[in-house]
This record gives sequence, structure tokens and C-alpha cells, in this order.
Amino acid sequence: MEKKRIDDYEPGPVPSPRPLDRFGFVKQEVNNSSEALTKGRSANEYERDERRVRKWRKMIGVGGSDWKHYVRRKPHVVKRRISKGIPDCLRGLVWQLISGSRDLLLMNPGVYEQLVIYETSASELDIIRDISRTFPSHVFFQQRHGPGQRSLYNVLKAYSVYDRDVGYVQGMGFLAGLLLLYMSEEDAFWLLVALLKGAVHAPMEGLYLVGLPLVQQYLYQFDRLVKEYLPKLGEHFSQEMINPSMYASQWFITVFSYSFPFHLALRIWDVFLYEGVKIVFKVGLALLKYCHDDLVKLPFEKLIHALRNFPEDAMDPDTLLPMAYSIKVTKRLEELKLEYEKKNGKLFSSAEAGRK
Amino acid sequence: MADGQQGEEYLFKIVLIGDSAVGKSNLLSRFARNEFDQNSKATIGVEFQTQVVDIDGKEVKAQIWDTAGQERFRAVTSAYYRGAVGALVVYDISRRTTFDSVKRWLDELTTHCDTTVARMLVGNKCDLENIRDVSVEEGKSLAEEEGLFFMETSALESTNVQTAFEMVIREIFNNISRKVLNSESYKAELSVDRVSLVKNGTDKQSRISCCS
Repeated sequence: MEKKRIDDYEPGPVPSPRPLDRFGFVKQEVNNSSEALTKGRSANEYERDERRVRKWRKMIGVGGSDWKHYVRRKPHVVKRRISKGIPDCLRGLVWQLISGSRDLLLMNPGVYEQLVIYETSASELDIIRDISRTFPSHVFFQQRHGPGQRSLYNVLKAYSVYDRDVGYVQGMGFLAGLLLLYMSEEDAFWLLVALLKGAVHAPMEGLYLVGLPLVQQYLYQFDRLVKEYLPKLGEHFSQEMINPSMYASQWFITVFSYSFPFHLALRIWDVFLYEGVKIVFKVGLALLKYCHDDLVKLPFEKLIHALRNFPEDAMDPDTLLPMAYSIKVTKRLEELKLEYEKKNGKLFSSAEAGRK
Repeated sequence: MADGQQGEEYLFKIVLIGDSAVGKSNLLSRFARNEFDQNSKATIGVEFQTQVVDIDGKEVKAQIWDTAGQERFRAVTSAYYRGAVGALVVYDISRRTTFDSVKRWLDELTTHCDTTVARMLVGNKCDLENIRDVSVEEGKSLAEEEGLFFMETSALESTNVQTAFEMVIREIFNNISRKVLNSESYKAELSVDRVSLVKNGTDKQSRISCCS
């Protein structure tokens, strides 16, 4: 029945002749931000981009051979260059280098194939159901049973077997989908493993484990940060009964890949893979800060709407990211994490009380 | 808060629940904006819409919370049941498993809601007659058993969507009129606890809104 339903449902969208943006998304009819960006590129900017690519190529070496050496020698240069955005043509490779996924891949030959071909997963139907609901407006994922959808299915299925405790959870598809636009299935799988199991940063599998414990922790930390860094807005949110679970769950669960402009998501991911999840907090705070004066005036329903539909100028990476970088959260995040863990016992009992 | 200022006389909180991919988000977008998105994304966490409806000349604002259907998300979505006075429990008539889950969703509601909740069972995707997996009779009899309203809908073809939401809203309205015709306290009670999340024991949960 389940299978039948999927096959019989509406004929898959025919690969559309509609114009695509430079990332492969079907263009919205109304003024499209990334189009504006492309159009605005002058000869100067092209040259600058070329220079950047050359610098990057030198830095990583052939196939990434010089990368580790370079990072050890000049970590601050690497950090600075990443903060300006990894050149799109090198993104896939660099992501694998900075996330530690390349090492995982090399250490585990044949494992991915085994997971995809020989294992079965309890989540297969859940995954299938969401495949066409993941980046539905991207040309690679649009065609029913096309190569994009098949890769996405394989990666998610493989992961759900690789870690049966996590299995498959909605949201993971957006991570995998984003990665698949820049690398092969197997590479994307190991990058997902690197992130969730914590190859270079703290593991993030708690975003998807039963009870979504890490989502709860991040939301707690974010709530506190808003109150501390933007007290006036924090107070307004409290009055209007707005809390981060109403607008920021998606930010954390999909690392901004669910509903943010793709060119912004990519820039965030550049930093996210190198520096870890704190960039998600910083970008979140920067968005609120940028829109602060509007947000403090809005009542509940308009607030909810505004927090899901930030204006275009707020989402320009060259405005938003410098603002995000300037917000320092590392120390406070650590303290709030300890605070959260200490409270945890109490928290669960009050959760029970809250259910009555 | 501005609910009172915008002229709505009543504010009802309604939740949309049911298994993943039964069409909750599209039911809501059909109701609130008369839109159906063939390429809609899976809901992550919770979404929110409001719609103003006229019931017997009274302006009623329905505040509708659309939740992620996957089991795992109940950890974060159950908080949104708090304060709900209406619920649409949705299944997909072409997938029996989603119908089998209805009882569990009803249990969730009972666990998390304190007040009387106007409940409707909704069999969505009734345009898929050729691959129907749950008969109308089954839907009806479950609804009778559990004391729910029942309706089959199609968000795609816009069948019964308006009616389903409006029936729930009307029932909430009737519940109030029946119970306490003019008790301010009861009306106030309806609007408190928009959402209460577990947050370090503070009691920011009570909130009165003007609904008169």
C-alpha cells in the first residue's frame, strides 16, 4: 500500500524548463535575491573571485594534500578566509577536509556500500515519504526517482542503519540534501557521520535522538542569550509569550538549511563546519539584532510571522555574517550548557508537571 | 498584546495533529490562504497561522498550530497542546497506518490538554479514491466511538476544508455559550497558556487576553 501510494501519486514534476538560479533552485517569479546578486557582479568582482580561488587552491594543495599542514601553520589565515566564504568550486572538497569526514571515509572502505546495499532499515518508508519533500524546488531533487532523490534516499537509509538509535528523523534530509549538492553520496554520508558523531566538534546526534535532547539544550541556551544580549527584545518576547522553540527549532535542527536563502546557508555552513555550532547561535542573534527595532514593536502573531520571514536585506551574508562574527558567545554558551545540565533533573520533573 | 485591539471578539487556539505526510500543512494553507503547495516541505517543529472567521456575526480568530508529525518530534510539539480548545486529528485515507495512529494522537491530546477540546477526525486526501485504504464507514464509526466530529477532506481539491475548520470553531463557540454564557473568567481561561514550555520553573504561563 505504502509503495503503491508513492508511485501512483501525481506524476513527478517534469524537469522544468523554468529558469534556475545559480545554485539550481527554480527561480521565484518575484524579484529573486540571488539573481540580483549574480547580476550585480562586476568584472572587478570576478577578478577578485579568481584571485581567491587561486589562493585557496594553493592552500589546500592537490586533492587536499597540503591542507593539514597549512591549517597547523596558519590557523588564523584559514579562519579568516573561511569567514569570507569558501569558493563554490572548492566547497565540496574543503567541507570534507574541515569536517574530518575525509579521514572517516579513508578509514572505512566499503562500509557505505555495505550499508546501502545489504542492510535494511526500519525507517525506509519514512524516508521515502520525505524524499520529495526535501528541497522540492531544486532541480537535482525534483525528478521523482531521479538521481538526486535516489542519492538522498541512499544516504539517509545508510545513516539510519549506521546508527539505529538515531534512525531517520525529519530534518536530516535537509542536511544530506545540502551536502549532496557538493559531493558524492559516500562523501555526504561520511560528512553526516562526522557531524553527528563529532569528528572534530561536539557530536550533534542529540538533535535527532529520542526526546531531541540537544534541540532542547540549544533552545535553552539561545533563549538565555537573547535575554542577555538583547534585553529589550528578550523582555518583549517574554511579554508576548514567544520563545525560541517557536522560531529557532528549525535553525538548529537543519543548521539554517530549511528555509533560508541558499547562498546564505552555504556561507553559514562554511563557518559551521570549521568552528562548530556556535555560529548558529551567532547568526540567530545577529538576525534578531538586525531586526531588533521592528521586532520590539510587533504583537504575538506578527512577531511569529516576522521571525519566519526576515527581510531580504537582513539575509545578505555580507551584512549578516560580519555582524554575527562580532558577537562573542563561546564562553557564555559553555556556562549555559553547564547550567542547563545542572537543571536538567529539575527540568524534566517540571515538564511532567506542565503536562497536567 | 493586540488581540483585543484588532476587533476580534474571540481567540481560539486549535492544533493540527496526525502522522507525518497526511497533509496537515496543506489543509492549513488551503484554509488560511486558499493555497495548495504541490512541492511542500516536511514541517520541522511547528508552524503557525491565524484566520479570522465569522460565526453568527461574531468575529472569531482561530490561531492554528501546525505540528511536525513524526513521532520523534513529540518531545517538542506536545508543549503546544497546552491551552488548545480545538483539534483536528488528521489521517490519510490512502494509508491505513495513519488511521491506526489516530488513537495515539487522541491520547496525546487527553494527556496534554486541560480544558474541553472540540475534536474532529479528518480523513484527508479523499481525492485519492482509487487507492483508498480506509473506508468512509470506518472513519465514521471511529469518530462515533470516540465522540468526534468526522469529515473527509481534500486539501488538493479544496473539498470540505473550510467546513471542517469552521465546524470545529463553531463547536468551540457553542461550548463556551453553553457552558458559561457571560463568565469573564471562563473566557479569560480560554486564552491563557498560549504555550508553555519548560523553562526554568518561572511562571510566565498565565496570560490574560481580552476577548469580550
